[in-house]
Amino acid sequence: MRVQQQAAFVLHHGHYGESSLLVEVFARGYGRLGLIARGARRPRSGLRTLLAPFQPLLVSWSGRGELGTLTSAEAAEGAIDLSGEQAYCGLYLNELLVRLLHRHDPHENLFDIYGRSLRRLQQPGGSEVVLRLFEKHLLQDLGYGLVLDREVCGNSPIVPDADYDYVLDRGPMPAPAAESGVRLKGASLLALACEQFPDAVALRDSKLLTRACLARHLGGRPLHSRSLFRLGRRPAGSAGKGQIS
Amino acid sequence: MSDTPAIDGLKQALRRLPGVGPKTAQRMAFHLLERDRDGARLIVEALGSALERVQQCRSCNNLCEQEVCALCSSARRDAGLLCIVESPADLASLEQCGAYTGRYFVLMGHLSPLDGVGPDELGIPRLEALLDAGGVREVILATNLTVEGEATAHYVGELARERNILVTRIAHGVPLGGELEYTDRGTLARAFSGRREV
Repeated sequence: MRVQQQAAFVLHHGHYGESSLLVEVFARGYGRLGLIARGARRPRSGLRTLLAPFQPLLVSWSGRGELGTLTSAEAAEGAIDLSGEQAYCGLYLNELLVRLLHRHDPHENLFDIYGRSLRRLQQPGGSEVVLRLFEKHLLQDLGYGLVLDREVCGNSPIVPDADYDYVLDRGPMPAPAAESGVRLKGASLLALACEQFPDAVALRDSKLLTRACLARHLGGRPLHSRSLFRLGRRPAGSAGKGQIS
Repeated sequence: MSDTPAIDGLKQALRRLPGVGPKTAQRMAFHLLERDRDGARLIVEALGSALERVQQCRSCNNLCEQEVCALCSSARRDAGLLCIVESPADLASLEQCGAYTGRYFVLMGHLSPLDGVGPDELGIPRLEALLDAGGVREVILATNLTVEGEATAHYVGELARERNILVTRIAHGVPLGGELEYTDRGTLARAFSGRREV
């Protein structure tokens, strides 16, 4: 099988043999796949600079089975430059994708959202919103979409001022619910639903909710990129900026 | 033909070396056993003594034979300058260029969440202790220009800034003898944004 000029991003790469790279790629019509870039680690190979995370690429590959062979890669329009905390956020998105997407499972919608998220991360501020919305769409694309606009039993609409317990895998129930769940405000559920976060409470609640849902599917292993956001790990008051991931 | 347990064990051991697969391991094993038994003894001795004597420097994390390496104990090196590199090979390259007279700290890798390498897996706590001890007035970030290297630089930079230490990053741009026409886009963009007054 030969695939030509597919829009793709590199999620991660590792060494393969003496002079090659094993590149984990997220391609628009093909999902996550592993490609071997032969000779990419030779000093004169231009591939090495090209095959970096967050860069929009057009890649071609051949081969069937678990690993393909990269036949060409070129930069697509609109280079993305993430530095500092933005790069941490980008690495966090990549870790989520590598951990949660199955190989060879196309996610075209999620691919577009990923590209847009990276672009929005370039702009200062607002990275928390970008991460929350990406997490929401990721869960939806994986088939674990959140119920955000109505109660799970009774189907009544969510009331902004009421408290809810979000029971994982089911949905919001009026607090206190019989089953244990994530306690949050109705306004926070609606904020995540319409993707507009009016205040810090809505963002914090959304983070607790998506984090709990993701944890369920991550199988108990922690996300290492979270340890990069050290300001959030420190005791309160030791640093000026807030926690992001 | 099946190998004796000793030959098989040797092949398995050789495969631990980077870039050595089953074929190469077999070639190495037979070469040593058939034609170069003296060489094999030499390897055993060298490996044994290196394992016994080489350790990590208490101050800079680099490999050395004393508790504190020659670079760190040298009075000629400026203890106020601390250059952060990813590996001993990077340190050797910088030393060869001869432009730097300060000290080093070797991280032995870079932050790479997808490989499970976080701050604690690198020598970060040790670096923090070194910065806390005082005496460093400038931290020079010389990690690689990859996404992971940049993330590492940012992380270390924050640590130093919190302690009110000047943080600098090595320059990146067009290499010496390089022609703009053949320089890749990313490098050119960096070279442009990092231009300086002459």
